[in-house]
Amino acid sequence: MADVDPKLLEILVCPLTKTSLRYDREAQELISEAAKLAFPIRDGIPIMLVDEARAIDAA
Amino acid sequence: MVNTPLFDRKILVTKRTRALPRLGEHDFLLRHAGDVLSDRLDDIKRDFPTVLQIGARDHDDFTSTIKDRAHAQHITRMDIAPAYLRAGDTHGDEEFLPFAHQSLDMVVSNLSLHSVNDLPGALIQMRRALRPDGLFLASMFGGETLYELREAMAHGEAAISGGISPRVMPFADKPQMGDLLSRAGYALPVVDSDIVTVTYDNIFKLMHDLRAMGESSIIAQRVKHFTTRRFFAAVQDYYAAHFSDPDGRIRASFEIIYLIGWAPHSSQQKPLKPGSAQTRLADALGTQEESL
Repeated sequence: MADVDPKLLEILVCPLTKTSLRYDREAQELISEAAKLAFPIRDGIPIMLVDEARAIDAA
Repeated sequence: MVNTPLFDRKILVTKRTRALPRLGEHDFLLRHAGDVLSDRLDDIKRDFPTVLQIGARDHDDFTSTIKDRAHAQHITRMDIAPAYLRAGDTHGDEEFLPFAHQSLDMVVSNLSLHSVNDLPGALIQMRRALRPDGLFLASMFGGETLYELREAMAHGEAAISGGISPRVMPFADKPQMGDLLSRAGYALPVVDSDIVTVTYDNIFKLMHDLRAMGESSIIAQRVKHFTTRRFFAAVQDYYAAHFSDPDGRIRASFEIIYLIGWAPHSSQQKPLKPGSAQTRLADALGTQEESL
């Protein structure tokens, strides 16, 4: 499995809120706490589309 | 958000994806505009360490040339159609740009921004993602693109159904683009264009080429009912009568607009405040100053 480019992780933000993302390596997801969305990473490609993101419960 | 967007971006993804396998035989406009952008970058003697390429349909030669001439350490490509992407790229949407404030030194985009619904919004998001003195360098189709087909289709449809509907995508006009860049906060904007004229046997060859480029219309309100053979015959007749060469081939125009803008920085030249002049204009011109 292709790992995501670390340089890319430094510059990506949530497309909705423009706030920083938390990288969940295990789940291969980029978590936007502000938007409560998890953006999947597939084959080393972050999918930064709101339509494709998983809604996460407000904890 | 706009209630009814002009362009259907889901259809755009479908059309771009369908075009991928044979794009290499139909990418002459991408290559032409890409070469112009590469030349423009060659004139700018600066290093741009971190580069975002918006739109990933280009041949790899484009990306590597841009990377070389920008002296980039890192280039990431972003596209809305995942079929064009590989590891290291980003699947994203220009209308919801996922790049951090002041994280990029350059944004380059070749023939991609003409299919964006909210162009001012996309330009502002790109400018914010640029570091101060960062470069925006882009090409997009302009308003003169396919004016022959637009006119022929309007006449063909009016002749047969008595009405017209939008069948050819609208494109931004060059004079508006300079204003748009300024309003989006870019400093020192430069806008110019060229026209590429292509000849075809008939409108069917032209429309085939547009589909193969992934550039057929994505208007959300496009005509979805069956289009009759009579309509296409009328369009072909009008087109051939008005826009053909002596040898009978029809001409199609593609206007490509080239855009350069900079994220503002204190080192850039700016107009002085009114009334702050140190020398009189009349002295510089060697004339006598007269009151109006």
